[in-house]
Amino acid sequence: MSSIWEHLQEGTLLAEINKGIITTSHIMRWSAAVENWHRIHYDHRFATEHDQLPDVLINGSWKQHVLVQLVQDALGDTSWVWKIKFRYKKMDVAGDSIVAQARVVNKTSLDGLGFVTLKIVLLNQRGEESTAGYAMGVVELPGGAKVPYPFVPKASYASIQLPQDD
Amino acid sequence: MTALDTAPKPEDFAHWRGMVGQPLTAENPLEKDTLRRFVQAIMDSNKRYVDETLASHTRYKGLVAPPLYPVHAFRPPTTAPDPLNLVQADRDADGAGQNDSVFFGLPPMVSPFKRLLNGGNEIEFFRCLAVGERCVAHATYKDVILKEGKSGFLLFVVIETTFSTEAGEQLLINRQTLIWR
Repeated sequence: MSSIWEHLQEGTLLAEINKGIITTSHIMRWSAAVENWHRIHYDHRFATEHDQLPDVLINGSWKQHVLVQLVQDALGDTSWVWKIKFRYKKMDVAGDSIVAQARVVNKTSLDGLGFVTLKIVLLNQRGEESTAGYAMGVVELPGGAKVPYPFVPKASYASIQLPQDD
Repeated sequence: MTALDTAPKPEDFAHWRGMVGQPLTAENPLEKDTLRRFVQAIMDSNKRYVDETLASHTRYKGLVAPPLYPVHAFRPPTTAPDPLNLVQADRDADGAGQNDSVFFGLPPMVSPFKRLLNGGNEIEFFRCLAVGERCVAHATYKDVILKEGKSGFLLFVVIETTFSTEAGEQLLINRQTLIWR
């Protein structure tokens, strides 16, 4: 069985998740799951008239979990999502379609483990980046040791940093 | 200082920098039903979050939440007021109440600015919260910087929150940048 390490080529699109159209029902379900009752997420009048928004907003708190899921799915169950960072660049509103993509930036090895940097984005149906950032995954090297769980980074890993923001 | 009647100065906010909050313990341990509703809401259909048999054969040895779940593990205490009472009393109330998933035991920053934006997050993960475990958060105002931009003043606030289990095992560290303007 080949290791994911061998498939990590700089610049390649490693994974994509298509969440489809996010409706007010999806937004309401998220708000209820985390008990976030802010009205900009479900009250159209409040969102558009009071807060002058184009529509009710898809929660940033929801979008961050899509990015984590993206990296997990991209690297597989034997890997670990060590670090992630992202910025919200545009609002997403009810009716927008959300696609998440992870692209390989680089990879390096240290201490018998592989470290891969991914560029991660959320795109809407117009191809606009609404959220963007980077993630660092820890993966097994071919024939190498398993990625420890829990993952407690050693002091020597301090040199492995995510890129600065674009 | 609660209103922007005079130009803000960096020293107005300096006392927040380094302020450490009280550790905050989640009201409840993670329950299977909470986990099911959560993963449905994030539309993650991975069976390891809901199938105990399958999960027992993973490295997690049982059901665990997605890595970033702990930031949502803190629900209002049972004695907290209903946030929607305010909506009945005030047509302009935003409904947010006290469940902001931001301050985690820190005193909420008193700012003269009206708009609050999420400037982004940097997160480091160590392990997942398991079903039956209770989460503890410990937050610090890591940095507070006042800047003047083209459209006026901006206040950048970095809150660093460490999430652990009650046994003291670190789950994740979240550094969140808030921007008031």
